[in-house]
Amino acid sequence: MIRVIIDADPGVDDAAAILLALASPEVDVLGLSIVSGNVPLTDAVANACKVVGVSGRRNLPIHAGASAPLIRDQIFGKYAAIGTFADALVPPTDVVPEVEHAVRFLVRTLRAAASAGDPITICAIGPMTNLALALVHHPEVAQGIARIVTMGGTFRTPGHRVPWAEFNVLADPHAADVVYRSGVPIVAIPLDLTTQALFTHEHFTSFRERGGAAGAALGHLFTAFDRSDVARYGRPGGPIHDAATLAWLIRPELFESRAATVGVQLTGEMLGATYADYDGVLHRASNAQVATRIDEAGFITLLTERIAFYGDRAAGSLAPGVPI
Amino acid sequence: MQGVPLMTAIPVIIDCDPGIDDALALLAAFVSPELRILGITPVSGNQPLDTTVRNALQICELGGRTDVPVYAGCHRPMVREPIRGHFHGSTGLGKTVLPTPTKSAESRLAVDFLIDALSAAAASGERITLCCLGPLTNLAVALRTNPAIAAGVERVVMMGGAYREPGNRTMTSEFNVLADPHAAHVVFSSGLPIVALALDATHQVMLKPEHVARFAAASGRMSHVLGELMAFWDRNDVARYGSRGGPLHDPLVVAFLLAPQLFETRRARLFVEHESELCMGQTIADWFGKSGLTPNADVVTRVDAEGVIAFFLERLSRYAERAVA
Repeated sequence: MIRVIIDADPGVDDAAAILLALASPEVDVLGLSIVSGNVPLTDAVANACKVVGVSGRRNLPIHAGASAPLIRDQIFGKYAAIGTFADALVPPTDVVPEVEHAVRFLVRTLRAAASAGDPITICAIGPMTNLALALVHHPEVAQGIARIVTMGGTFRTPGHRVPWAEFNVLADPHAADVVYRSGVPIVAIPLDLTTQALFTHEHFTSFRERGGAAGAALGHLFTAFDRSDVARYGRPGGPIHDAATLAWLIRPELFESRAATVGVQLTGEMLGATYADYDGVLHRASNAQVATRIDEAGFITLLTERIAFYGDRAAGSLAPGVPI
Repeated sequence: MQGVPLMTAIPVIIDCDPGIDDALALLAAFVSPELRILGITPVSGNQPLDTTVRNALQICELGGRTDVPVYAGCHRPMVREPIRGHFHGSTGLGKTVLPTPTKSAESRLAVDFLIDALSAAAASGERITLCCLGPLTNLAVALRTNPAIAAGVERVVMMGGAYREPGNRTMTSEFNVLADPHAAHVVFSSGLPIVALALDATHQVMLKPEHVARFAAASGRMSHVLGELMAFWDRNDVARYGSRGGPLHDPLVVAFLLAPQLFETRRARLFVEHESELCMGQTIADWFGKSGLTPNADVVTRVDAEGVIAFFLERLSRYAERAVA
């Protein structure tokens, strides 16, 4: 089992990523560290609690983290109006976050992992403020990270908030820069990749009908905040960006990737723009494996089957954590 | 004992990157009962973190203040790659060799200590004065991690920046701010009240060779080390500074707290450039309200240099009294 901390800003597709992780025996989720991003921190923490509540993993530690980016003025996601998930979409919960701050949790856990020689994988699916703050704390933090699988950046596909940048990097470009220059192995899942796999109402119906309470919540969220954009994607359906990071960990054979030197623009109007130098024209060592292609059908099957796990478990046909 | 604080002592945390001038500031603070030193938080700056931590521990032992806890700070700037000081020798303490410290740093990291101490101060109302003698990384990381700690800060008294004076590391920029301009941005935009002892102030107080002899003569058991540290500090650059000697940068923070009558200040809003490579780390003071923002700093504009030298002579002579006592 791959030991994972998910650093997230839930967010609708963060919810899908978290529920995919918690239904997957290949990964052992140690905790969630929450950051402001798609929505303000308090909403992101409340949403994390609600998602953990419907998942059944009620003892999963949830840590509230940074409430603002390192340097730039704060921006929120395209769907920031979501705020805290409405009770009609995701039922209320009595799950509450830990007292310990997310950055302290990351520093403590990753230093211990470094000392034990058993580094941990980070799934970074929000702005990387928490990670950047942790990396500046102590050199052992980087040593305690096996790799960072991050949904962020875009190289050929226009962004949603501005054409030159993907939201997670745009929201804290300085944090992304710190992470990309940290020396930690990185798997980058850019917009170029996530927009290759489009989910439609057929899949949301499957979540709702087969996935128990968790699947119902996820189906309601995606139906309420439909990402379908035929003009943009050329066909019906919308991406579930963040879940692709978990798919990479669980089913790496669904992906093609290339080594590249990834960098972030920190100044000027194109703040947050990212580049991937695949061909070594910069003569700098590569710092990331960039996912370039995904098996769309394979990813959709993985996510729908794993969400169905919550329904099967509720029906008593599967014990929690049993491989599907 | 001189180190025992008064009941009314000012609670301070000394955030530093020792550093010769940091060492002088610490040694003066150690014999100042008006200050209650809650902790020392060395940061990567003049020297790498391991060195600034070791130097802080050694200076605590030299000053007889092993009771003051030392918390290791951030090992690198917030965003930029580290730069190092040019005037502190390979160890950070010139040619001075101090014994290997028997004391060690606390297991809690500096950022956690700052967050815990300032949170407690916010709750109790007994706010803490932060004496910042190095790059502002520790404070900025603490503020970004937990913004509510601002309520526990009485004020930030910082050595750094260059407003009307040119820079000392680049044409525009002073070392501490250049070393982490993003951290300076976080602090300058935090709303915290700031006292800025920039090169405008510190270049008015040159520690000259004739002063060094007086310090060495007055400071008892400390005389050899002080003489050695201060002699190494001599820039020997009359064209740049107008005299022999070295600017007394970091110790001015301690002098400002304990002898404010020696300083003149002017209100301004502070800004820092963190985007332009040419002007990276340049500090800008809005003296005339051009920015439309309220002033957040008292910028020291004039210093009574002879008064400051006399102040430190008196403080450091306390080491002679202590040896006798």
